[in-house]
Amino acid sequence: MSDNPHNILQIDTFTCAWCGLTVTTAAADGARREHCPSCLHSRHVTDHVAGGRSRCEGRMTPIAIAVLRTGDWQVVHRCVRCDELTAGPVQPDDNQLILMRMAVRPLAQPPFPLEALGSL
Amino acid sequence: MPRRNPSRARAGAGRRPQRHKDVLHGAGGHRADAFRCVHCRLEVSLTAPGTVHRNHCPHCLTSRHVDRRVPGDRASDCRGRMEPLALSTRPDGEWMIVHRCLSCGELGVNRIAGDDNALALVRMALRPLRDTTRAGRTLMAL
Repeated sequence: MSDNPHNILQIDTFTCAWCGLTVTTAAADGARREHCPSCLHSRHVTDHVAGGRSRCEGRMTPIAIAVLRTGDWQVVHRCVRCDELTAGPVQPDDNQLILMRMAVRPLAQPPFPLEALGSL
Repeated sequence: MPRRNPSRARAGAGRRPQRHKDVLHGAGGHRADAFRCVHCRLEVSLTAPGTVHRNHCPHCLTSRHVDRRVPGDRASDCRGRMEPLALSTRPDGEWMIVHRCLSCGELGVNRIAGDDNALALVRMALRPLRDTTRAGRTLMAL
């Protein structure tokens, strides 16, 4: 990031690996973005097992929504090349429809009849 | 979302078969086919219906951090407790549990087994819906 945030030539951006959207690296509240707000895809740049920068650079698809004890949501990503997992916080301008679709996705195809739980 | 290969995405037809398991959990002896859950202390048999890769307790869904990069390699020396964090779904609808290690923060994914606690699974699936403000905002966006 530049020292002067008003200098338009030095605003940090990245291009989404899935939908091609050009996204500013800093979100509206100043937090650092790690996924595209439109399609929630990310890029594998950090090696979480060994630490440091990853050489994979693969695309990471969102696979799950995790809810922390504080009630904040996190998106769990999986790298399509090397299957590594990361979790990152949800930004306020993320696509709410995709977030909600991922959150209710398990309930669409339950592995057991959910009616059985009604008798509990 | 566009699918590049629709025939492969349908019903998991081209999915690679489950990885062959060639590691033993214990050193052998009387505990070679069982483990004790680090959270609820339940004695769990390793033979599970529906999966050959049981890695979590069927009662409280807690796991243990023993694998490093490849599932089953037993190369991690963390040995921390892994709590169930989220539920993920495969394209064919199969549920997967995402675990997070409480001591080092590493994540892991494992398929649910046939004898996993249904109530604990559904509680985890309903966790994002507990707070209704976000669902309401999504409805307004439609």
